[in-house]
Amino acid sequence: MSRHIDHEAEATDRVMFGFWVYLMTDLLMFAILFAVYAVLHGNTLGGETGRDLFSLPLALQETLLLLTSSFTCGIAMIAARQRKKAQTLLWFGITFALGLAFLGLELYEFAEFIHEGHTMQTNAFLSSFFVLVGTHGLHITSGLLWMGVTLIYVMKRGLNDHLVRKLAMLSLFWHFLDIVWIFIFTTVYLRAFV
Amino acid sequence: MSRSSVHSPHGPENEHKTMQSYVVGFILSLIFTFIPYYMVVNEVVSGTALLATILGFAVVQMIIQVVFFLHLGRGPKPFYNIVFLVFTVVAILVVVGGSVVIMHNLHYNKTIPDQTKSLINDEGIYQIEGTLTGACRGQHDNHQVTIKDGKVSPLYTAAKQCDTLTFINEDDGTRKISFGQHENHGSYAGNTEIEVKKGRNKTITLSETGAYQFHDHLHHETAGVFTVTK
Repeated sequence: MSRHIDHEAEATDRVMFGFWVYLMTDLLMFAILFAVYAVLHGNTLGGETGRDLFSLPLALQETLLLLTSSFTCGIAMIAARQRKKAQTLLWFGITFALGLAFLGLELYEFAEFIHEGHTMQTNAFLSSFFVLVGTHGLHITSGLLWMGVTLIYVMKRGLNDHLVRKLAMLSLFWHFLDIVWIFIFTTVYLRAFV
Repeated sequence: MSRSSVHSPHGPENEHKTMQSYVVGFILSLIFTFIPYYMVVNEVVSGTALLATILGFAVVQMIIQVVFFLHLGRGPKPFYNIVFLVFTVVAILVVVGGSVVIMHNLHYNKTIPDQTKSLINDEGIYQIEGTLTGACRGQHDNHQVTIKDGKVSPLYTAAKQCDTLTFINEDDGTRKISFGQHENHGSYAGNTEIEVKKGRNKTITLSETGAYQFHDHLHHETAGVFTVTK
């Protein structure tokens, strides 16, 4: 029995480390997109700058939604480790809803820009903006899909070791996306008004 | 990230501690979100100081979340995780820092219209798809300005358009010749700064008409004037 737990724990260590390595390479990709944005954010081709386009209150709302979802995700993991199924589902459900609200706001912002004729093709500033923020949005979308599918499994099969490990990776991913967003909030939105 | 992430000891004390760390991390993150937001909206400070401050707050918030949300550093085997994180942060500093510094320098030294102008003059491209560029063709007069002992002679040069002007440096140091007033540089025919090493000379084509001041950027009392007429 104890041998079995040791074996499981070792597998968990390996898997979690592998996932951590993936997150670090993902971080490198984001860093390069940040560098591109930092270099190109002034190249508006005489058009409107970030200061004219961005809405700080909207960016703050997005930040608060994602930050709160990162927090509720942590609480959900505590429940998951204690194998409390109902609480796990509840807190991950709240996390999912907050993430969805964040994604909604982001898509609303993108739709506004495109509607006003500020698209990816307009200038280098908007190209780098849509790629950086859009890549983060895609990560959030895939995180939500992953969360939804895993929660359906939890509902059907209950919290076994395998699923708790999946949830642990998911929470790591979610915290990671929140950290990336802090830098988008700072270097894209706040910086435009400096 | 480690054994404790999935197989935590089921002691309530440990879970209580984890809960506490999430609450503390959440409150600190909120504080470190609102402070820079408030500072930007109300412009408490401005310019580079503000930019440095908000970036500082972002880094602090990142550290808070790594410690309180990711619990890095806890658990029995976090060593390789931290090694990877440190390696990634170093790589990011090189890539992002390097790109920003280099591209900023390039932007500072020459704007794109200036680059185009000096290319047109240097290569003698006098027309592009039927449009005249203003670049000069053929042989024209040459004028010389000598800089010796920090003095420019002659102080005043009168030239016709498309003549050339040669700066001769007979001093011991490199001269960096800029156009316009000191600390308020302009450019002439796409040239923002002409570097003339000691004992050397450099020639520019006077393709733009008007009256221009020039000076050594490092010793702005070393200055002169030239006029270009049609």
